[in-house]
Amino acid sequence: MANLSIPSIRERLFNTSKHETTTQRNSNSTNPFAASSFKGNVLTADVFESSSKKADQPSFTGKLKASALVGSISGIGEKFQNMINSVVAFGNRMKENVVNGWNKLNNIEISFTPAKEKAVSMFNSMKDTLNTSVSDLISSGISVKSVSKMDDMAAARQLATDKIAQWEAAA
Amino acid sequence: MVDKKIVKDVTNVIEGLGLNPNPETISILEDVGTNSKVDAIREMTARALVKKNMHDSLKIVITNKGKGINDMSTVVAMSTINELLSLDDKSEAMKILEDTVEMHSDEEVRDNARSVKALMALS
Repeated sequence: MANLSIPSIRERLFNTSKHETTTQRNSNSTNPFAASSFKGNVLTADVFESSSKKADQPSFTGKLKASALVGSISGIGEKFQNMINSVVAFGNRMKENVVNGWNKLNNIEISFTPAKEKAVSMFNSMKDTLNTSVSDLISSGISVKSVSKMDDMAAARQLATDKIAQWEAAA
Repeated sequence: MVDKKIVKDVTNVIEGLGLNPNPETISILEDVGTNSKVDAIREMTARALVKKNMHDSLKIVITNKGKGINDMSTVVAMSTINELLSLDDKSEAMKILEDTVEMHSDEEVRDNARSVKALMALS
């Protein structure tokens, strides 16, 4: 392991000829930094990071990176939650519209029921009225008009007596 | 339960007699209708007599105890009073009521006539 004290690092940075070996440029080199880094010179030691610093300062690959990742995840989650909420709200609106429509339909159905009953009642009463008037015409023929034009008062008295007696007998 | 046909016949006979202009119809209604044991028949007869708006017919429902406004049935009495209040020409009825209040022998009949007269004066 190389000496990693600050003076030694400074010496290595500014006196490269002493610590670095010149290497021949090789066109077959696979190192992508070989042409640009330090004019072809390869560092013999890691001068950018010391083990002591690494211990003192938090590395990006540690908690910070994790917290950043968590933050980003939570942010995504929030956006995703907003999307879900909007979808849920849209669904609820659709559901309300459907429910309102269904209720309106139900109300219309209910409102038709009394009308139907009224129509049936009206039909029945009309049928009863027709039956009564027809039977009156055929059987007795007693009407307000016929009695109001009667000249024979004896017959009128007898008619009134008989009909009232029938009622009193049935009562 | 009385047959609907009988009710209809009696109603038509009483209404017809009420519209018949012959004066004898008044006595028919009085004899047959106002003495009936059925409240509905007495009520219809009293209303028919009031609608005639003649002296003799009005006198029956105003001055006779147990008939018209003096009927034992509240329904019959109130219905007769209501028919009197509905008359377009109340002059004959008011005249009979005044005579009844002044001259009738029965106190209850006088009191009833006084009350109806007050109502008719307000209407």
